[in-house]
Amino acid sequence: MKRIRALAVVAALVLSAPAVSAYLKLGTHVGANLVPLHWGAFPIRYFVTNRDIAGVTAPQLQQAVAGAIATWSGVRDVSISSQFVGFTGASPISGDGMTVIGFQNRPDLDLVLGSTSYTVDSVTGEVIESDIFLNSIFPWSVASGGEEGRQDVQSIALHELGHLLGLGHSALGETDLFGGGRRVLGAESVMFPIAFPAGNLNRALHADDVAGLSDVYGSDAFRASTGSITGRVTKNGSGVLGAHIVAFNPESGTLVGGFSLTPDGAFTIGGLEPGLHVVRAEPLDDGDPGSFIDSPQPIDLDFRPAIYSRLVSVPKGGTANGVEVKVTPK
Amino acid sequence: MRRRCGLVLVLASFAVAPPVFAQSRFEIGGGVTWTGGFDAGGLDALETRPGAGSTPLTLFATDSRVTAAAGVRAHAAWFLTPRLAIEGAGEYSRPALETTISNDFERATGSVAEIDVASYVFGGSVLLHFGARRLVPFVFVGAGYLRQLDGDGTGAVTGAEFHGGGGVKYALSSRVGLRVDGGISSRDTSMAFEVKRRTLPVIGASVAYRF
Repeated sequence: MKRIRALAVVAALVLSAPAVSAYLKLGTHVGANLVPLHWGAFPIRYFVTNRDIAGVTAPQLQQAVAGAIATWSGVRDVSISSQFVGFTGASPISGDGMTVIGFQNRPDLDLVLGSTSYTVDSVTGEVIESDIFLNSIFPWSVASGGEEGRQDVQSIALHELGHLLGLGHSALGETDLFGGGRRVLGAESVMFPIAFPAGNLNRALHADDVAGLSDVYGSDAFRASTGSITGRVTKNGSGVLGAHIVAFNPESGTLVGGFSLTPDGAFTIGGLEPGLHVVRAEPLDDGDPGSFIDSPQPIDLDFRPAIYSRLVSVPKGGTANGVEVKVTPK
Repeated sequence: MRRRCGLVLVLASFAVAPPVFAQSRFEIGGGVTWTGGFDAGGLDALETRPGAGSTPLTLFATDSRVTAAAGVRAHAAWFLTPRLAIEGAGEYSRPALETTISNDFERATGSVAEIDVASYVFGGSVLLHFGARRLVPFVFVGAGYLRQLDGDGTGAVTGAEFHGGGGVKYALSSRVGLRVDGGISSRDTSMAFEVKRRTLPVIGASVAYRF
């Protein structure tokens, strides 16, 4: 079998989103099929760059990365593991056969704190190599309580490691326009594409992150103990592409999001706790829609957020079907 | 004039010969119930704000309630003595669990999400009757098994139920009577977003037949 290695780069971008049971996952084409980007072999063996930057030494970077990896590895009923191989002088650039995490000076990317790139086996869709760089043009810190004016390494590494594991961006966050960009008012996922302002920590996973990781690497026990919701978002009878749908469990307070990924407005939200959920749909207007979904067709932003009129009962190990969230134009 | 005479005669006949329940061993009956609603608890949808100790951002707030509901009930009683009976009963009602959404951060349309709940109570009681007149007061106490299914048929809760109360039975004839009762039903679980014991008012009216 001839294996062709394809290089795909994610710089806070979503490559593509598989249409089936997908909301946070990155996808890659294998032949005509779109499959979730995933690692097939564990442990993930990674290196950390041996360069110090102002405020962060290489060992401190390695400790922060190890902390972020431990957070992802701590998700229940998920089997992922990693191994720190050592420090390296190599840069976090794809194509060298090494998974490298480290700082890189990228003044050309003055709005990008970090980026993850992949080398993917285009036959299986499995990740062969992935690299993460943190942009050293920004001030960084590893202080346990954060440091005013500096980005927290572990928080941003946690986000990028989510990409490394195959997750795309979550839209579970609210922003407003501020100083020519967007400012986060609140977020309930570390995979929200816009970071908390410098000086703030964001080191803990939320239900949405756990659901996303579990969707890719979850065990049979996870699938048997959780459920999903499928349905459509419609406007005047037609499907809405690119709506963000949130399932909220009023008993536990957990929020898990998904997207309508096809022109007929179909969506799936997986990894949900069994029980009753409130379902809410909203347009992707808290960031660049392209940072969530890479679609050749335009994302529909012209509708008002809406609450589904029924509570949806998610069965254990099953799917609640037939949800239709009807939205109206703005 | 003739009508007035008739009325007097009927009232007089009631006064002279009021029916009382026969000294039967068994009673069966069926009727309707009304069970009170209650606060179903539940949390608001919150997002984490930047900054340690910051108040979370409210995506939307929720206020959930299980509505009061009418239902049907059937019972069968066995009189151990003329005053003391044990009774088995089954009750079905269909309340709704309603979640009212408010304070949506983006002013989402739609403010209520709801689902029907099928509620079953199967239980037993001890009844103590007072007297053998046409109007017989009684008190009861008992326990039961509660099962509730959501309207999609996928979620279910089961639990214990305890009840007590009182009422009257009114004899229409020696075998047929009306029964009206009221009391409380204490349930250790319910189809709700907060698991806790709840005590609800329950009233009922039924027709009873003795044999």
